[in-house]
Amino acid sequence: MRALVIDDSRVMRRIVAGNLHSLGFETLEAQDGQQALDFLAAGEHADLACIDWNMPVMDGLTFVTKVRANPDLRGITLMMVTTESEESQIVRALAAGAHEYLIKPFTPDAIREKLEWLGLVSGGDL
Amino acid sequence: MTTTTVDFASVFEIAQAVFAAMVDGDEGLLVPRDDVGAAIADPMVAWVNVHGPYPGRTALTTSSATAYTLVRALLDVPADTPMAQADIVDAFGEIANVVGGNVKSLLPGKGTLGLPHVGSSLPPTLDALVVVAPLAWRGEPLDIAVWFTQERGEEE
Repeated sequence: MRALVIDDSRVMRRIVAGNLHSLGFETLEAQDGQQALDFLAAGEHADLACIDWNMPVMDGLTFVTKVRANPDLRGITLMMVTTESEESQIVRALAAGAHEYLIKPFTPDAIREKLEWLGLVSGGDL
Repeated sequence: MTTTTVDFASVFEIAQAVFAAMVDGDEGLLVPRDDVGAAIADPMVAWVNVHGPYPGRTALTTSSATAYTLVRALLDVPADTPMAQADIVDAFGEIANVVGGNVKSLLPGKGTLGLPHVGSSLPPTLDALVVVAPLAWRGEPLDIAVWFTQERGEEE
């Protein structure tokens, strides 16, 4: 499995990627939604994208909308990983096409549980 | 006029949860501090703004030395391993971002969170200071302050 980690914070990308590595993922990192789209357009493969909401250049919600509008990218599971914790924001993200929503701060167990629910990690992978 | 549920207890609860999940792995290392009002020497300040109908700001202030220690704990970097200043600024800003994002959920209106900033002092702040939470992390002073306006600002 390969995951695209999209966050403008290098430190947060490192934390998310570290959690994903421990679950058996390879990772590719992008600092905003546009860079992530560029990677995908260049042929980079991803089974999962972990997406921050607030980023310069292109925010996470716009990235989700653009991925969902592209039939070639329908195989990517989209999970928002963000501090936006209001219910209205969660509804917006899910309505735009995100599959799951993880609120920062998160624990390693929380990210594993979300990925288990999405069927990307089995219960025995830890 | 809108009432707020932002008070010391709610800010402290959020901060404890953030530090436990991101930094310490357990609660208990971030605690209330008695010496309220004492100046923090050589400060490093990280803040995030809320834009929208009720503009606001959440800021974390601690000493530069404590910020470095905090970031090392966040990233599990040993004390004798050099760290890039950019990573320290990035990580301290991200902690403020996570605290501020969760504080935003307590504020009225449907604002949007700005990107985090880090510096040695805050730019001019909003009129209404809601709460200052004087805390100590591993015994070192760390203040969290929240502002937001009671009157509607400009929609973005």
